[in-house]
Amino acid sequence: MNLEELKKLKEKARQQVALREGEKKYRVVVSMGTSGIAAGARDVMKTLLNEIEKRGVEGVEVRVTGEIGLEDVEPVVRVEEAGGEKTTYAHLDAEKARRIVAEHLDKGRKVDDLAVGKEKKGE
Amino acid sequence: MFDELSLHILDVAMNSLAAQARVVQITVLESRKRDWLIVRIRDDGRGMEESELRRVLERGRSGKEGRKRPIGLGLALLRQTSEMCGGHFHVRSAPGQGTTVTASMRWSHVDRPPLGDLKTTMLALCISNPTVDVRLTYRSDGQRMCFSSQELIRKSESAREPQDGARLPSSSDFLASKNSRARPESRPALGRILGGEAVE
Ligand SMILES: Nc1ncnc2c1ncn2[C@@H]1O[C@H](COP(=O)(O)OP(=O)(O)OP(=O)(O)O)[C@@H](O)[C@H]1O
Ligand SMILES: [Mg+2]
Repeated sequence: MNLEELKKLKEKARQQVALREGEKKYRVVVSMGTSGIAAGARDVMKTLLNEIEKRGVEGVEVRVTGEIGLEDVEPVVRVEEAGGEKTTYAHLDAEKARRIVAEHLDKGRKVDDLAVGKEKKGE
Repeated sequence: MFDELSLHILDVAMNSLAAQARVVQITVLESRKRDWLIVRIRDDGRGMEESELRRVLERGRSGKEGRKRPIGLGLALLRQTSEMCGGHFHVRSAPGQGTTVTASMRWSHVDRPPLGDLKTTMLALCISNPTVDVRLTYRSDGQRMCFSSQELIRKSESAREPQDGARLPSSSDFLASKNSRARPESRPALGRILGGEAVE
């Protein structure tokens, strides 16, 4: 890790916390418990952030959380829309993360083949 | 299971966030010359009762009982890595006192995982709970850098942070670190680091 990288890190983290309430369209939550990390959740997060930046998608807030009770299908990401609808994507990798950004976050089309069932209540 | 130390760091620091920490201090000290690498994650979270800590440290069955799977693996994994690499693993914790996890290993051990992508680990922690101050201190034989996530949020303040005698190393401290501030004589002894105080 060097100076340049740390500067970029600061900038990226700042972008993520700078989003104001009214501007938020999507909140993307990445499950980052032990099993998620082991399955590659950190890379999925990195790809999401890079792709969002690359495409210039606005109004997306990315957050990291502990396990969300789906450790059998990690890496898992949940996309929450401002309107309340939630979509859970499972078994992700970098390629699939790029699709979520391109289709769901950028164009507003849920990626059906990557989504798992209905959001379970009370997980 | 984790092929980078920075993945262990992410995993263990996520425990700190789950324990309602307001400050998480990550310290990585490596000396090729002295042949050790130390990772420490310290938080001011809820801490653990002695009985809980004992249970967590029992090899392979830490964490929550009766959970589907895996049964609390994070600390057990770091312990395994450090002991496999000729080092020691230690957790100090008490309710209201926070938790300090320290893992050392031989720098040259063949099984020692590389530090890996520490930058992305820090980014993940910073966006997990933006109100928590996630700090990193990294030192090697010739380099020293410090980072604090709260500084980037209170951006305007960072330039005025006092340099000397400040508890929290500032970014201006870091900015100077690559040249003039790498002071090898200020490296603390191994014992002092393991004792928990590595600030000069
Ligand atoms: N920093 C901490 N502060 C307070 N309690 C902690 C801390 N770290 C660990 N613990 C306790 O020890 C338990 C075991 O932690 P460990 O990371 O090994 O497993 P886990 O978090 O339960 O599960 P996993 O990490 O496998 O998802 C935790 O569930 C928590 O109760
Ligand atoms: Mg854990």
